[in-house]
Amino acid sequence: MFQVIGGRSVQAVRLLAPRSAVLVEAVRGRKSRNDPVAKSKEGRIKVPPPVDPVEMVVLKERYSEYELIMRALRLEFKEEVLRKKYEEEMGSQAEERSRREKEEHRALMDWNNQENLQMLKARILRIQKEEEEAESKTVEAAIQREEELQEFIRQKEKEILQLQEEAKNFITLENLDQRIEEALDNPKNYNFAIDKEGSVVKRTVLQ
Amino acid sequence: MVHLSSLLLKNYHSGYVVIRLALAGHKQANRPFYRIVAAYNKRARDGKYIEQLGTFDPLPNIYNEKLVSFNFDRIKYWIGCGAHPTKPVAKLLGLSGFFPLHPMTVTEAERRRAQAKLAETAEGTEDSQEGKQTQI
Repeated sequence: MFQVIGGRSVQAVRLLAPRSAVLVEAVRGRKSRNDPVAKSKEGRIKVPPPVDPVEMVVLKERYSEYELIMRALRLEFKEEVLRKKYEEEMGSQAEERSRREKEEHRALMDWNNQENLQMLKARILRIQKEEEEAESKTVEAAIQREEELQEFIRQKEKEILQLQEEAKNFITLENLDQRIEEALDNPKNYNFAIDKEGSVVKRTVLQ
Repeated sequence: MVHLSSLLLKNYHSGYVVIRLALAGHKQANRPFYRIVAAYNKRARDGKYIEQLGTFDPLPNIYNEKLVSFNFDRIKYWIGCGAHPTKPVAKLLGLSGFFPLHPMTVTEAERRRAQAKLAETAEGTEDSQEGKQTQI
């Protein structure tokens, strides 16, 4: 009739219950060892439920039968479990199964080795190709550098030639007087006029 | 992250295996549902179990049946390994026919029949008394 609550909900029960009224729900372990017995239970003698002797005899008989059958069932089941285990490990199927598994394992390992060999070959080819490419690249780079060097040299030679040619017209200390005289003798007139149509007129005020 | 301690301590157990009813916490008040479960003896009732072997619904359905299910193959295995069923599980299995009928089932039924008969006779005497009184 009374609900027995676990220890954790004791506090909640105490809060929920009204202050003055009695706790309706019984909680296990509410009283400790030295607490006095409640007034309503002072003269109580705990009496076990009454046993009917006729029924008890019949019950004992039934229980002995039941336990006999249960023991037998338990042994049966134990035997079955052991037999299953034995068959699993050493039965007729076990050898075939182990043999089949071994063969499968061997086949798979062979296949794996084949795959490994193929991958090895592919890898070697790939590495060779890469090496060749690297070599060709270095060779090309060297050639490129050579070409650039040559180009540079050519450029410099052209500049030198041009300078040499220009050097012929330079004014040196020996040419100085001659050149001055030349310059004074030939006055150059750089003035010109241009109109909107673009016709140039070089003849200007006469010197 | 896998807790290494639980992996290491996984198989540490002394004590025996029981087949018992564990409340399957559906977190709904007033709607119980039990799982028939093989667990170690000292574990909490609803705690970690080894294997689930069936179910039991204590509330009757619309056809007034209480539904029970068993995995007989695994129950045989566990009993063969030395598991003990509890009283309610033994009773249920007895009713299902897998075990012999539990003696308490029979005695309870007999007691109820006796009670019902007493009640009937009491009513019968009351009716007859009332009948006599009215006659008188």
